[in-house]
Amino acid sequence: MKFRRSTKLLVDVPAVASGDIAFNLIVFFLVCASTQPDTGRSQILPKSEQTQQQKEQQDEHLTVELKRNAVLVNGDPVKVSEIKARVKAKLSGKSRPDDRVVIVKSADDVPYHAWIEVTSQIEDAGGIITLQLEEERTVDVPQ
Amino acid sequence: MKMKRGKPKVDIPSVAMGDIAFNLLIFFVILAQSQDDSHIQWTPAKADNLKGAGYTRVTVTIDKDQKVYLNGLELSEGQLASRIESHLGDAPAGQRKVMLKVHSDCTAAKFEPVIEAISQAGGELVHILEDKKQK
Repeated sequence: MKFRRSTKLLVDVPAVASGDIAFNLIVFFLVCASTQPDTGRSQILPKSEQTQQQKEQQDEHLTVELKRNAVLVNGDPVKVSEIKARVKAKLSGKSRPDDRVVIVKSADDVPYHAWIEVTSQIEDAGGIITLQLEEERTVDVPQ
Repeated sequence: MKMKRGKPKVDIPSVAMGDIAFNLLIFFVILAQSQDDSHIQWTPAKADNLKGAGYTRVTVTIDKDQKVYLNGLELSEGQLASRIESHLGDAPAGQRKVMLKVHSDCTAAKFEPVIEAISQAGGELVHILEDKKQK
């Protein structure tokens, strides 16, 4: 009687560790999915004390006023798309950081997305943003 | 003849120790890194030319209800500057980043005092935004 000699060896993949491998893969992809890196824009703002000093020189600086539906550069209404060019033109020839300060005044109802669009354009034009906030004052009314 | 009954020898299987240690390591790394602010609801504003914000210890968020959070904990605007200052400590320039996440429709009356507080605390402000090109 002849026996056929099998040439193929049957090797099983060890199934004991497949649970651990699957668990580690799940953790790996979970971590990758949950930690998406944040993107953003850094903004350099002068400290409050510096801003007080700059208030004295306010007349010399460029002023951008943000209203709910309009943007004014030194009192002139400007389209949002033209702010960068306008600010760049006004700041041309000014190399000192103190001369490149742009005072931003915002109305209370200006939304953040509009504010960030305007301030991004000012910074792209080389301006250094300073916020002018209205101070809260308590006035005693005589009775 | 008396036969002593031997105690059965049971070893703790040491084969899986590596896997267990590795999983514990991942677990604690994730816990250490993530500040849980997943409960805060906000939509980022969109902008161009954005860069990676990197890593920071301090994150200030203004949510859709105009509430202010520092590292996921709600607080008032008045407390903000001192709390940021204590978080930043004596960190040198370049390591004083403060991430600011503001809901897209939040108004200037709310977010400008927060920006001022970050500036007062000596924080280096990074606005967290979404790229306009992203869908």
